[in-house]
Amino acid sequence: MREQPLKEVTQLIHAIKVGMVEGSYSITNKTLDIFKYIIMSKSWQNADELMRIVRAQSRIMQAALPQETVTSNIARRILKLTREEFDLLHAKIQHFADDSQASLSLHKLVTQTSESNVSVDYSKPQQGLREALLDHLQEVETELETSSENICVQAEEHIHSSEIILTLGHSRSVENFLKRAIKKRQYLTIIVAECAPSCRGHNLATKLANDKTVDIIVIPDASIFAMMSRVNKVIIGTHSVLANGGLRAACGAYTVALAAKHYSVPVIVLAPMYKLSPLHLCEQDAFNMVGCAEDVIPYDSLPAREAKVYSPMFDYVPPELVTLFISNTGGHAPSYVYRLLTELYHPEDLEI
Amino acid sequence: MVITSEQVPQSASESTSTDPGAPKRRKPRQRNRPRNKRNRVEDKEIETVQHSLQMETSIPTVKKLSGQSTHESALIAATDKTREQIMAEREAKKQAKHNKKNQSKTVPTPPTTKIITEVEQTTITTRLTTTTTTTNDRQEQLATTVAAAVPTKTTSVTSTTTLELGENTREKIKAEREAKKAAKQAVKSAKVSGGNVDAAAQKLANLQIQTAGATEAAESEKKKPALSKAERRAIQEAQRAAKAQGKAKKDTTKTLTAGAPGSQAISPPTSTIGSKEIKRDNDSPSKIEGSPVKSVPSKTERDHNVKLFNHLLCTSKDASQFINDPLVHPSMARLGEQYAKRIVVGSNARCIAFLNALRQVVQDFETPAKKEFGRSLDVTVKHHVDHLHKCRPLAVSVSNAYKQFKNQLTQLPVDKPETELKDLLSHFIDTYIENQIGKAAQAISGFLQEKITNGDVLLTFGCSSLIHYICEEAKRRQVAFRVIVVDSRPFCEGQEMLRRLSADGIPCTYVLINAISYVMPEATKVLLGAHALLANGYVMARTGTAQVALVANAHNVPVLVCCETHKFSERFQTDAIVYNELGDPNELVRSDKCCLLNWQTKSRMTPLNLNYDITPPELVSAVVTEVAILPCTSVPVILRIKPEIGY
Repeated sequence: MREQPLKEVTQLIHAIKVGMVEGSYSITNKTLDIFKYIIMSKSWQNADELMRIVRAQSRIMQAALPQETVTSNIARRILKLTREEFDLLHAKIQHFADDSQASLSLHKLVTQTSESNVSVDYSKPQQGLREALLDHLQEVETELETSSENICVQAEEHIHSSEIILTLGHSRSVENFLKRAIKKRQYLTIIVAECAPSCRGHNLATKLANDKTVDIIVIPDASIFAMMSRVNKVIIGTHSVLANGGLRAACGAYTVALAAKHYSVPVIVLAPMYKLSPLHLCEQDAFNMVGCAEDVIPYDSLPAREAKVYSPMFDYVPPELVTLFISNTGGHAPSYVYRLLTELYHPEDLEI
Repeated sequence: MVITSEQVPQSASESTSTDPGAPKRRKPRQRNRPRNKRNRVEDKEIETVQHSLQMETSIPTVKKLSGQSTHESALIAATDKTREQIMAEREAKKQAKHNKKNQSKTVPTPPTTKIITEVEQTTITTRLTTTTTTTNDRQEQLATTVAAAVPTKTTSVTSTTTLELGENTREKIKAEREAKKAAKQAVKSAKVSGGNVDAAAQKLANLQIQTAGATEAAESEKKKPALSKAERRAIQEAQRAAKAQGKAKKDTTKTLTAGAPGSQAISPPTSTIGSKEIKRDNDSPSKIEGSPVKSVPSKTERDHNVKLFNHLLCTSKDASQFINDPLVHPSMARLGEQYAKRIVVGSNARCIAFLNALRQVVQDFETPAKKEFGRSLDVTVKHHVDHLHKCRPLAVSVSNAYKQFKNQLTQLPVDKPETELKDLLSHFIDTYIENQIGKAAQAISGFLQEKITNGDVLLTFGCSSLIHYICEEAKRRQVAFRVIVVDSRPFCEGQEMLRRLSADGIPCTYVLINAISYVMPEATKVLLGAHALLANGYVMARTGTAQVALVANAHNVPVLVCCETHKFSERFQTDAIVYNELGDPNELVRSDKCCLLNWQTKSRMTPLNLNYDITPPELVSAVVTEVAILPCTSVPVILRIKPEIGY
């Protein structure tokens, strides 16, 4: 049976497609609102039904917006929440006063296989599930709201004074992070690679340049390697973090990471938890999107008529080129990402 | 023929004057002026060169504006007269300045600075006008420039007074001559140093230029419907400022026509109001609607240098700075300008153009009396090379060619007549071009043809004449291959490469450099051109080359650098920062809507436009030279055996 999308879902998909909603943060927020609405609605009677609805809607969004992984990430979070809350209530009823049941520990992970044999029947109606879920959802919302701030707070731990930092394009987390760093540390030099053809780096540069105590250098993408020899740290944002710790980041990130590797410069990636997605995509063609080529070369120019012109949007950065992830919960090595994923999502929900 | 110092200024004055008698009589007097005073003026002129450059950049919009205005024809007709008049004014004002210095204790500063400001404004214009007269072919090009630039002044500053001024120029000149005489005596009597006054004047001059631009922007803005309140206010203020300025100017010119040096002090209230207005308006209009003028006070300009690159001078594009040298041969002067404006780019093109110009210099060279041909020619050529270096730092290929030429000069036979020696030299130049560039390219192409096979996907970066030649050859051999052209902003030379290759019928793919990881898996070979090969095996090439090599290396694609041996350099370099060339940072600004526009007004933000970068030898699989296909590290070997190869 083909699921019909909810009205809200279609609206959101449209808004994202036409660019009214941009940036992973706002997309995440809007998606969360939709799921909250679903939970509040009376269309489901038990946990199983709810999970089915969430899955179906999430699948629709994923199909419509294959490049926006955050929507499915949020859906996975909701599914996990539902499972947890159900288990908790279930446990309470059965007087299982075992706290470890709720929190996923390494111990539990190991013992999970034996437990999953005793499959939980989610179709049983559970009293108070809706209220518990909404409560918990509130927590997720606050986490989302404070994620940017929580990342910023760590700026001091990673940046010392008179450091030369290179960044690429324009990421909101990077902007806030660097603004905090500028406030706390003196004599910073920030090199911004413009990230052609959209040149969003220019926006970042102008936003950071309001401060008197910082030197901003805007460079074209071609000078990244030349400047890298003087750079202390590379700080970039990312579109999403993949399951192996690799990145799907703005086009050009691979070159930056590679150049940083060449000069042994640490690469710090700012990624709030909602960007972690349990996908294994190690190839360009698996996820890339090709943008409008008009900015690359004008359509009416003579050579453009015969040449193939590409303007890809994303780059895959392998995990070995990343030194550190900074999320709202702290710093993580790329090799630790799989562990974060198991904490964040239920193993059964990895495939929606 | 070599233009002597006598010819140029005279032709300048002749072409600018409507009255043949007056300027000629004026000329010697100018020369009689006290030496040190003249020097100081010249210094200032150098300072203002920057601003004249900025004026030039604003020309396109000015042209549009003047096209729209109904007074267009009147303005252009007035151009000749105003030119004269401006020169006259300048002199008169200089005297006035010195008078002021005498009276500086009694007179308040604003009027003084005001006058000096105007002096400087006029020097900007006169500088533009004098450029027209140095070379004939340049004249045609610049005539349009001047025609556009002079209205800038007239529309913005003296719009109300232009016509009136045009009429009574002659009387004014006479009056000013008298004024000058009087002032000269005054100067002799007392010379008070006015350093800080000058500085203040400089600042004011900047402010005025900026507001002039702002008013233009405001005028153009007027045509757009739906203005925000802030914008409208800004426009009003700008207009008021312009009016005040015009008024101040009128006052000065009126007093000038009166002729008496004492009366040249403007009434303080008018000018102070004017300058205050200017100061207030200075930032607001330019911030709100990105005005096309890029002028800022020179102090902040210094702040906007990238600290890492303080040792590198940003090349100035102002050609008028260079072409006024009477000792420079016209062909070299033209070449210098082509270098500076990047009309001639690329190592080989620069080298060939240099050698052709050099041939002209040799042909037109006349040995001074009682001097040896070889030595005096050496001195002349050195002067020319210095001139070229000023326009744009010399390419390695050019300096190598120059070295070889000098070497040839020392080996000239002594007992032969001059014409024969000249023939010898031009023969040398011909063979150098043929062997070092033409035949070398053939040899390199020959080596590479073995490497290009059916189904190959070549990846190349930017535009290289050599790579293009190789691709052409491969196409001629009917090899089925395609080319991926990688390009980068701001130069976008790859577009030229793409144009040439698609004209040859070679299937092409075009991407920007940050998308390189997207296309690299397809590529089977990377062919790169080079600016120079350094003695430690590093490859110096257009910025971005190193990145291409890096990504290619990560994808295990072989990187072949094609480079003729005449581009080999004896320099050692390990990074791209110690020695490099800085391009115009404004080239990074994409369009009028780009938020980098007016970056000078933002605190401490600088676009950086590096020209070259250095590719470490470990990223390069091999260097293809006309001698052999070599590893990068063999460069010193080639350098050592080089004198034996070729010529």
